[in-house]
Amino acid sequence: MSTDLTTPAGPNTGTGSTADDLEAVFRRVLEREDVTADSDFFDLGGDSLVATRVLSAVARTHGVELTFDDFLLAPTPARLAHRIATTA
Amino acid sequence: MSEDHRREGDGRQGHSRESHGQQSHGRQDHGREDRRGTAVVVGAGLAGLTAATGLAARGFDVTVLEARDRVGGRTHGIEAAPGTWVDGGAAYLGDRHTELLALASELGLKTTPTTMLGASRFALDRDPDRDPDPDPDSAPADRTATGTATRDGRFPPLNAVALGDLFERLAQLTAAVRPEAPWLTPDAERLDTLTAAEWAEQHLSHPDARLFFPLFLGEMCAADPADVSVLHLAFYLRSGGGLRYLNAFAGGAQQDRIDGGAHRLCERLAERLGDRVRLGEAVLAVHQDDRAVTVRTDRSAYRADVAVMALPPLLADAIAYEPALPVPRAGERTARGCAVKVHLVYPAPVWRDHGLSGWSVNARGPLLSTVDDSPEGGIGVLTGFVTGAEAHRFGALTPEQQRAETLAQAGRLFPMLPEPVGFHVTDWLDDPFSRGCYAALLGPGDWTRLGPTLTAPHRRVHWAGTETSTAFFGLMEGAIRSGHRVVAEVLDRG
Repeated sequence: MSTDLTTPAGPNTGTGSTADDLEAVFRRVLEREDVTADSDFFDLGGDSLVATRVLSAVARTHGVELTFDDFLLAPTPARLAHRIATTA
Repeated sequence: MSEDHRREGDGRQGHSRESHGQQSHGRQDHGREDRRGTAVVVGAGLAGLTAATGLAARGFDVTVLEARDRVGGRTHGIEAAPGTWVDGGAAYLGDRHTELLALASELGLKTTPTTMLGASRFALDRDPDRDPDPDPDSAPADRTATGTATRDGRFPPLNAVALGDLFERLAQLTAAVRPEAPWLTPDAERLDTLTAAEWAEQHLSHPDARLFFPLFLGEMCAADPADVSVLHLAFYLRSGGGLRYLNAFAGGAQQDRIDGGAHRLCERLAERLGDRVRLGEAVLAVHQDDRAVTVRTDRSAYRADVAVMALPPLLADAIAYEPALPVPRAGERTARGCAVKVHLVYPAPVWRDHGLSGWSVNARGPLLSTVDDSPEGGIGVLTGFVTGAEAHRFGALTPEQQRAETLAQAGRLFPMLPEPVGFHVTDWLDDPFSRGCYAALLGPGDWTRLGPTLTAPHRRVHWAGTETSTAFFGLMEGAIRSGHRVVAEVLDRG
């Protein structure tokens, strides 16, 4: 598993929805497949260190810088996608 | 194990070295059929004692030589209160440390969880002249006038995206490394050329990431970023179970401690081995001929079929080998793990009454992090970690200066603290029989040069120690696994 960190931050130009992207990010950083749109990051073994990797991925892909506290309030792919949509 | 063998090996009776070579223990001295051979194990830490125990159980006539006047190596008990021990050295374990848990269980030792309830303290103010804050308005409102912030959990009040970028990059390096053979990692040559400090200079642009990186490295592997290669850093993180596992307390590598102290593992193993363990014998030389290996100490000489060197690489390299080693055990850039552990002892863990966990992370020393290591139901023990470059500075202070600096900082972090009833400094950096802790730091060029012969026997000489284990390198688990590996190797000699 590797992450292309050379891609500059910018708006999402992919075809999937933001929630789909975030599910993939959760899978990658949590190293587990059983992630759905409503999976709680912390129930799946995520902690604050791994959460920052999600926030980094969100900043790279969606151009939105969220805080750790933002993530605590929206710890599922669906809710985080909503948060990004309302911030961007 | 018969009494006569040990007397024969006893150099304190005044035999010359030559006569020792003839009289020291060997299977021909014993009439027992089940003897598989003779082994001298050098080093009575977890690796050496595990190896000695395994070889003895398989019929080997074993002698363990230990330079110190105690067993335990980099585990070391400190009596914080009468009958209450804390870990001056290796302390923590998690559920992936399966060999360690099996050993503890077999020895009748329990584990106790590392408590981490309540808020953390952070003193992460930058030096404004050197590292200006790009966005002063982003400073959290809960940062006090003294520059110390209180936050729930262990997440520092730094830019989360910047730390996330750092951890994404580290995760990428960690995923790419070949854990069982880091020198064969794609791009190993380049990764083994750069120090972690040079890598950070190239890749970390945000000041929060630059601030946190050395603190993280200090916590993870007691390294200054200038001391380790990027390859070693990536390998170390992978070997220990990855970023999340190695960093975490609950659900991670710091979840539990050995009840009563990790040194009890070694003490119980040594009790079983009895006077096969010989303290106060520093090994000077290892000579081999066609028939045997002779391990010469400052007091005696021991002849055996095999020798197991269960030492950190810098100590293993300080011994004279004849014939010489084809490849040394340490490289030119191999450095000592930079850890000094400080224990502050209080009548009770009073910080808990104030909703604090005892965990803190601090940009300036001496204590770069603190953790609550209180034994259950009694005294309060706050453990401070002085790591990386700060360990060198702190180690050079007088005991009075060390105490004054530590208490001043502890008082700023935890203003409710009374005067401690106990104060202990364990300096591993200056310890002549460990030369560093948690483990050796492999610098540029070391892995590509030394890796291929990490476990390769030198004729009758085999290698153990946590630095020879590519799984859980630098941890107690790695030491125990290296002990098991070397037993299998010796049995395979046939």
